[in-house]
Amino acid sequence: MTRALDVARRALEATTGEAEAVAQAETSGLARFAASEVHQPTLIDNVVVTLRIVRDGRTGVASTNRVDDAGLVELARRAEEAADSAPVDPDFPGLAERGELPRVEGYDRATSELGPDDQARLASDAIAAADVPTYGFFTSAVSELAIVSSTGVEAHQEMTDATTLVVAADNGCSGYAEATSWRAGAIDPAAVAREAAEKAARTNGAKEIEPGRYPAVLEPYAFADLLQYFSYDSFGALGLLEERGYFAGRLGQRVFDERISIADDALDPSGLPKSFDFEGSPKQRVELVTNGVARGVVWDRTTAKRAGEGAKTTGHALPQDLDDWGPLPSALTVAGGDAESTDELVELVGDGLYITRLHYLGVVHPREGVVTGMTRDGTFRIRDGKIAEPLVNLRFTVAVPELLREVHGLTRDVSLINASNFYGERYPYGALVPAVATARFNVSGVGSAPGI
Amino acid sequence: MRDLCAAAVDAATGAGAEYADARAVVRRSQRLSTKNGRVEQLTDTESEGIGVRVLVDGAWGFACDRRLTAEGASDAALRACAFAKAAGGRGARALAPLAAQTGSYRTTYERDPFSVSIADKVEHCLRADEALNGRDVIVRQASLRALREHKILLSSEGTDVEQETVECGGGLDCAAAGDGIYQVRSYPSASVGMSQQRGWEFVEQLGLEREAPRVAEQASALLRADLCPAKVTTLVLDSDQTALQVHESVGHPTELDRVYGTEASYAGTSFLHAADLGSLRYGSEHMNVTADSTTPGGLGTFGFDDEGVPASRHPIVEAGVLAGFLTSRETAARIGSGHGGSMRADGWNRMPLVRMTNLHLDPGEGTLEDLLADVDDGIYMETNKSWSIDDKRLNFQFGTQIAWEIKSGKLGRMLRDATYTGITPEFWGKLDAVAGADAWQMQGITNCGKGQPGQGAHVSHGASPARFRDVQVGVKA
Repeated sequence: MTRALDVARRALEATTGEAEAVAQAETSGLARFAASEVHQPTLIDNVVVTLRIVRDGRTGVASTNRVDDAGLVELARRAEEAADSAPVDPDFPGLAERGELPRVEGYDRATSELGPDDQARLASDAIAAADVPTYGFFTSAVSELAIVSSTGVEAHQEMTDATTLVVAADNGCSGYAEATSWRAGAIDPAAVAREAAEKAARTNGAKEIEPGRYPAVLEPYAFADLLQYFSYDSFGALGLLEERGYFAGRLGQRVFDERISIADDALDPSGLPKSFDFEGSPKQRVELVTNGVARGVVWDRTTAKRAGEGAKTTGHALPQDLDDWGPLPSALTVAGGDAESTDELVELVGDGLYITRLHYLGVVHPREGVVTGMTRDGTFRIRDGKIAEPLVNLRFTVAVPELLREVHGLTRDVSLINASNFYGERYPYGALVPAVATARFNVSGVGSAPGI
Repeated sequence: MRDLCAAAVDAATGAGAEYADARAVVRRSQRLSTKNGRVEQLTDTESEGIGVRVLVDGAWGFACDRRLTAEGASDAALRACAFAKAAGGRGARALAPLAAQTGSYRTTYERDPFSVSIADKVEHCLRADEALNGRDVIVRQASLRALREHKILLSSEGTDVEQETVECGGGLDCAAAGDGIYQVRSYPSASVGMSQQRGWEFVEQLGLEREAPRVAEQASALLRADLCPAKVTTLVLDSDQTALQVHESVGHPTELDRVYGTEASYAGTSFLHAADLGSLRYGSEHMNVTADSTTPGGLGTFGFDDEGVPASRHPIVEAGVLAGFLTSRETAARIGSGHGGSMRADGWNRMPLVRMTNLHLDPGEGTLEDLLADVDDGIYMETNKSWSIDDKRLNFQFGTQIAWEIKSGKLGRMLRDATYTGITPEFWGKLDAVAGADAWQMQGITNCGKGQPGQGAHVSHGASPARFRDVQVGVKA
């Protein structure tokens, strides 16, 4: 029996009546480097169990990583106290019933067996491959999610993940690359570092441009980041119900260019697959946008009950400590287009901007999908259908729907972009996206030159 | 816990570490929120474990174990040493000297927030939630949080300190919608309210129920307010937004690890250089910023940081000139100035990083009304709504929940969707007045992120309303 499942079962046994136990376990190593030297190597080993107890329609939740018998008894006491103190929740849909869970990939034994020596070695591989100072990390982990409940749910998934991220930077230049997979063997840290270094070498002598609206090519790193921020308000049911998201009142309407189709698909083996959500409900592929038309959002059991009218969970509940966000996508996937490469998108744009990645995004106006941020680590001018001179970091303020309303093209290939910054308990997730060429990228200011 | 830390340090030095420290941490936190009359979230979380940091042949290593047992302590120490050896280093790594520290620190408070029953907390939220009812209001939310952290730090240099901090706080968020417009109003700060290192008395002083009707009225009024115009004008910020401005454009760029590039792969670097110390003009002569880990009630207040360096108070910007950095023992040794004191870790399973403690904009003179009185035409902005700044902390764009135009020294019509943008030293150079001590409030930030793996930090910023001339406001998409 695995660690998380064992802990979840024992937590459930520590109480009586209606209850659900969710356990997450993590064994991870992250070798972080700066100036081509590993400086923050961190090994984490933890297991956390969250017990939700239901008493006559009132719910209470408590968590602990003290998973001996005494710790679990105390956990149950705290959860019971919380439940006894809460008023009846009319929106509580009850605990999930046992359902058929999809079988997914996402576990690789070789990745799970990587230890500190391997993680340090793979970080060193990245460092050694670049002729520019490198900043980044290699990390790998095995993590588990287990859910058991008094209503018969018994779900368990063991996951692996690995990521190499490299910023290659020196005075006046910087480049970026990353690779993520649930199979560490699919990642070549040296190749990632070379991609970042090659990009950095082309950013020396960056120029400023005038603010204004430009056509632009966004690499998958940039596109994934932008979509992720848009998704917080617009792709989840809570944003819809609270009229906060862009899709409120627009479902069924044409909102984007017809080339844009977006789904959330945690079942896709080329992503970071998941079988079920944090309520134990099976993951479903959800069509969010089809050929530019807003089709739907993701749901959990609570928002589905609140909405009524036949709404059902799509398997997108978050952990209890994050559930005030409501259900959110964790496996965005954007359909690829016809372009064979980003070079082809650059040709389509002709005259515009080329953007590698974004930095420190913020939602300015959620209802209109307005997001601001900076470009970083590889921003260029496009002239005559080719990447031309490097540019300083640019401040952008874009309405995502407007950016996606007029699209010149998308690459056929999609890339898996890691979306986790590894806060809290490890739960690998990311987005599968192509590069995109848009007619409308609004530059609202200029910033500093690239480089360290 | 002390014995376990000692065992971990012994195990690390026995395995070849030239330096080791061990932190045993027990943390408990509660979060409670109600939304539209129902309990939205009610969680009670505890987490405990030991984290061991080592230096082996000049290379850092960190490992942790949730088991507060001799075996857990020893395992963490040995794994930290193994990771350090595998990572390798470039030889000796200097740390600023630190005499062995002993002592303890405890937050002072009148009423332990964990002694207040959950039922009472739920009732407190529901009353405030109900008081948010009003025209156009579609989301009413009241939140409370509390945290207790007990930790012991021992090092191979003889440091042995014990600390217990207690935080609590709360807030309101209210959303109104109509005609395709969506607006949010919060009190006293957005999303997570305001927290301090104090007891339940702080929550009672916030007066959530008392403030709720005003918050709801303003959320509704924003639906009919005019858009913030795009222009260059005089900008007056309230204490909340000034604190956020300090956090993003002074706090982070003066973290010396960012200056040296060690955060380049995530949070970013800094426009500052080590050589700028004592000479770089950061802002106008009205700008005085102080780092103070001794401020009563501050979320960054402690007896000792997570390297055992005693709490202290020192200038970061004096009369507009860069006067100090936030440092660790390693970065202080590298720059040859300071002694560390800003190293903080997010719980037992993260490595300490250079973090803000409490970073204050020192008060000037007069009142908010005095600041407004000297403005013929301008905008007053209140309560942060959105924030973004570049990796060197130069180009920023911030938005607030609400604004008013200023005409002939008085507040005029209400404005919605207010934003402003600037470049850090240029912007601070336009500071021409800071209100006085009576208007100085300490704001709390509980979602400051940094590091890989990611770490959250809780920091406080005291600030009075501040006035800036010739600022670009009203950024459009």
